[in-house]
Amino acid sequence: MNEVLVVLGYGLLTALATGLGALPFAFVGRVSENTVARANAVASGLMLGASFGLVAEATQYGSWQTVLGAVCGVLFVLATQVVLRGHDIEFGRVRGAGAQRMFLMLIVMTVHSFAEGVAVGVSFGGGMTLAAVIVAAIAVHNIPEGLAISAVLRPRGTSVAACAGWSIVSSLPQPLMAVPAFLLVEAFAPALPYGIGFAAGAMVFMVFVELLPEAYDQARRPSVALLVSITMLGMMLFQQYL
Amino acid sequence: MDPTLVVLAYSSAAAAMGGLGAAPLLLRERLPVTAIGWSNALAAGLMLGVAYALMILGLERIPLSGALGAMLGIGFVYWTHAVSGTADLDLNRLDETQPEYGYQVLLVNTLHSAAEGVAIGVAMTVSLPFGAFTALAIAVHNVPEGTVLSAILTTRGVRLSHAAGLAVAANVSQVLLAVVSFALVTAAPGLFPWVLGFAAGAMVYLVLVDLMPECYQQAGSTSIGLVTIVAMGIVVLLVSGGVVR
Repeated sequence: MNEVLVVLGYGLLTALATGLGALPFAFVGRVSENTVARANAVASGLMLGASFGLVAEATQYGSWQTVLGAVCGVLFVLATQVVLRGHDIEFGRVRGAGAQRMFLMLIVMTVHSFAEGVAVGVSFGGGMTLAAVIVAAIAVHNIPEGLAISAVLRPRGTSVAACAGWSIVSSLPQPLMAVPAFLLVEAFAPALPYGIGFAAGAMVFMVFVELLPEAYDQARRPSVALLVSITMLGMMLFQQYL
Repeated sequence: MDPTLVVLAYSSAAAAMGGLGAAPLLLRERLPVTAIGWSNALAAGLMLGVAYALMILGLERIPLSGALGAMLGIGFVYWTHAVSGTADLDLNRLDETQPEYGYQVLLVNTLHSAAEGVAIGVAMTVSLPFGAFTALAIAVHNVPEGTVLSAILTTRGVRLSHAAGLAVAANVSQVLLAVVSFALVTAAPGLFPWVLGFAAGAMVYLVLVDLMPECYQQAGSTSIGLVTIVAMGIVVLLVSGGVVR
């Protein structure tokens, strides 16, 4: 079979796996203000843990490039915030600051998938022998990302099915970027530290500027801190062992 | 110089920075709240960066013992807060008038310092530059902590020089734990991943339970986010660039 189609198909599979992250919310009942805060804390822990792993990987290619990418990621979030504030946004039945936060989350996670897609394509470039293993690993890594997205969307009234749908959409750049990166490994590999740094910078800044302040507003500090630190540790272990 | 003396010197220097925190009170009556927020954010970013470095340094992947150590570190700080009845204590309520509030803040600062001392000690077992950098990060954290503590104590009638002394005294547990954990890991290298995990977990939890929520009350979330992430970026550059490792 055509190798390009194989890479594309595998990429789509990993994107679909992101939707599984919405599943736990099928079992969560009524949603209160406190749930929003707790879900924010879980999303923060997942994103901080993922970013720590990404930065550790990216700095192996070059530390200045990683930090430069991260600076661009922060600027991207700031610029997106300014643009979103200028519009009266609706997301489902949510308006105002809540809707802006939901949109920003989707944008940040979608943009971060571009960098991940490049990483997938470049790793396939080394040969197709390990392809199935790599695909399984990436698919599994995507599940907590879907969980993070759903944690921000679901408590604000988005249905579980819609959470799964948005999670999958946010991962679609993965197959789209994996194919060109696979075909042009030599051209894409040098961009990897910038791209991964960008993804990590955007996610960490999103946590500090949007998710954590809201969590502290609506829940007790020890419960926020416990949820963030334990999910962060869990995410780092998850990434290393699976 | 004997390595233990080096640890003693660096951790003592970091502890002494608490006294420097009283200096702004000499100059003005009202505290520069926004500036305290930014210096707390700077300390939070440096400490998260150090926690990142602890977790990736010399470890291909976090071993089970490291993960358990991190859980112990998180649990230790959570438990000390719960037991001392200070879980929700806001350490920056300058308008608080109850007399016991001053003691509570002093107690919490002492407990926090113990966990921070472990970080200095275990970082010193990795390398001298990394240990010195960790001591610097803790010293940066000690300054605004000392400022707020001195302000709280002086409004309760404590003289400023005594308040500065108490701000340093609250950090004595830092020096003790730095020396003890350094000696412990040097004597029993098998404990290294446990102590490393403990320090990283305790620091992340401290930053999240204490520094970050207070930062957001002292300055806007955008400026806090920027200061924190820039401080983290500096640590990543220094660590991965090989300057401190």
